[in-house]
Amino acid sequence: MPDTRSTSVPGTVRARALPAGPGPTARLILLLLLAAVLVGLATAVLSLPPVAPGLGAVVTEHLPASGVEHPVTAVLLNFRGYDTLLELAVLWLALLAVWSLTPAPLAHEPTANPMLAALNQLLAPLMILVAGYLLWNGGHAPGGAFQAGAVLGATGVLLHLSGRRLPRAVDGWPLRLALLLGVALFSLIGLAVMAGGAPFLTYPPASAGGLILAIEAAATLSIAATLAALFLGGRP
Amino acid sequence: MIPNLASPGWAVALIFIPLLGAMLAFLLPRIGVTLGLLAAVLTAGSVLPLLPMLAAHGATNIRIGGWGAPLGIELSIDGLTMAMLAMTALVGIAVSAYATCYLRPVPSRPDGQPDLQQRHFWPLWLVLWAALNALFLSSDIFNLYVTLELLGLAAVALTALSGGADALNGAMRYLLVSLLGSLGYLLGVALLYHAYGTLDLGLLALRVGDETVTRAALGAMTAGLLVKTALFPLHFWLPPAHASASAPVSALLSALVVKASFYLLLRLWLTLFGDLDSGLATLLGVLGAIAILWGSIQALRQARLKLLIAYSTVAQIGYLFLAFPLAATGGAVVWGAAVYLVLSHALAKAAMFLTAGSLLRFGAHDRIADLDRVVHRLPITIGAFTLAGVSIMGLPPSGGFIGKWLLLQAAFSQGRWGLALVMLAGGLLAAAYVFKVIGYAFTPAVVPHQAGLVPPTMEWTALALGAGAILLGFAWPLLWPLLEIGMPFGALAPDPGAAVGPWLGGPRILAP
Repeated sequence: MPDTRSTSVPGTVRARALPAGPGPTARLILLLLLAAVLVGLATAVLSLPPVAPGLGAVVTEHLPASGVEHPVTAVLLNFRGYDTLLELAVLWLALLAVWSLTPAPLAHEPTANPMLAALNQLLAPLMILVAGYLLWNGGHAPGGAFQAGAVLGATGVLLHLSGRRLPRAVDGWPLRLALLLGVALFSLIGLAVMAGGAPFLTYPPASAGGLILAIEAAATLSIAATLAALFLGGRP
Repeated sequence: MIPNLASPGWAVALIFIPLLGAMLAFLLPRIGVTLGLLAAVLTAGSVLPLLPMLAAHGATNIRIGGWGAPLGIELSIDGLTMAMLAMTALVGIAVSAYATCYLRPVPSRPDGQPDLQQRHFWPLWLVLWAALNALFLSSDIFNLYVTLELLGLAAVALTALSGGADALNGAMRYLLVSLLGSLGYLLGVALLYHAYGTLDLGLLALRVGDETVTRAALGAMTAGLLVKTALFPLHFWLPPAHASASAPVSALLSALVVKASFYLLLRLWLTLFGDLDSGLATLLGVLGAIAILWGSIQALRQARLKLLIAYSTVAQIGYLFLAFPLAATGGAVVWGAAVYLVLSHALAKAAMFLTAGSLLRFGAHDRIADLDRVVHRLPITIGAFTLAGVSIMGLPPSGGFIGKWLLLQAAFSQGRWGLALVMLAGGLLAAAYVFKVIGYAFTPAVVPHQAGLVPPTMEWTALALGAGAILLGFAWPLLWPLLEIGMPFGALAPDPGAAVGPWLGGPRILAP
């Protein structure tokens, strides 16, 4: 797209016509291509063995050494903890990206809906309790940091909708710390064990359970803070 | 023998120094620039201890969490990984130095933006650096997907950072394309895991066979990574994104980010898919050839410098894909040539985009026709552009020359005259668009304009990168043995028995 105008002069943003949609021939070609891809994928999927070899047996075999009793938590926080660490970084990065784009739209005036406020007074403590339960449950049953964080984040969204705001004192560095507590603690624990000569993220077997719970608790807080902050849609 | 416990800890440092640096810069924005620069220096420095380790132990695996494949994730370092890490460190440190000056608010032009830009640049760029290093080091195909996600998201956020409608449009398109590419890759991961029950590249290399599912995974992963690498005709998103980002970001995107997805494709090809006789190599070669011609002609037609450089990237990416058909008989040397082109293009293209940023700062525009004898005022910057241009054109003694010469040699010896002709034509076209810029730098313009101040750091970092691209041309005798550590490209002579690649060499065999 040859453009002789400079973009650095403010206020000369071109109004760009929306591109027209593809014509009928292009649509037909697109459809045929997609159909070909679909057939190819279907053939591949149908050719797969009905029982996947998978790693289930290996996970079960090593479960006692993982520090937790639930295989999903063992995979997420121990066997493939590095993936989870990077996923927590992805979550933080998503918020970082949103914050780099725009400040939060002006906070709405607290809605004076007494019903919502009353309901939240009832719901919020209950949801915090549920989040705590889910977090604790992760060690031996379905649950864990992501579920607990989602519930806690939803609590934050509800409180925001009913007009509650973060106090000025905590929306600076305390909020930023809460946002990265999970990934920071995860990384630091992973690096700390290297002091003993073990590879990154090798928990000492005796303390694996406690370390995983600490990481999950921090991650719960960070996930909740990130989800609620993403809902606000901009930096405070 | 426990090679896993030796100094490979530095590999972990390469991922976590930038990641922790990003967190600190985010937490303490007042000293964010200082923290960011410190993290950049430490990250770049962490590459150095890996060199003697690699020379002493050969290719090395690190078992994260102490589990080892297939249960856990492994990192792996061989010559190819090392080269990519070093390239990232060189470009990274130069761009970091440049960015401190470029993003600093200018008193004469109070846009109000640079302050916030600087504040958000450092965490995003350091996360990007961590993601690049993590991608180069990983040998687990799902973990590689996570690093791709991290990389793509950071790159999109950096693109949008310069603000303005063009940048936001470019970033949005980049985000959608990048997600599509990641999903294609993830589909391939799912297929491979279901069929072969492991995510580890080394184990997969032992297990994959010529089956329908392998071919489907090859198709999905290649398509996804081609979108991210912007090979013609999937390059449509690259020029708007790379041209509208701020100069240091454009340098990072063009020099490093597209190389990461190319590296991943190359790695998959060398480890898993190289033996499949699918005709895909020929297709990649043809697309690469078209990319060279199309990208170069488009570059020649541009009136704005950053768009010219962005289209030049489209063309130079084409050269990388010529290696796929040539390597079938050309073997390791052809792959080495492609990697050489990756390295020299990274240095040269980063230099060019930094130059464009300096010219933009100087004249407040990037119209090529109005460069107005800028060579008198910014001789170092134009010098940097020229040095980078020499490497892009493929003139001796630059790094670009070595890579293109080896590819040309392979094309001649295999009788592929078409590819050879395209390479020569691409060189001529590159010369035309580089000299077009240099010519205008000597020509007085019709419209005079006031000149802005360009800090010396911005000029000298670009020159250092441009000089690096030239010096690479002399480094072949040093670099080739490094690249060969762990034999990432298979044995030198095409040997069917050694086709599974490097991931089995070294300590993996010794470990229980």
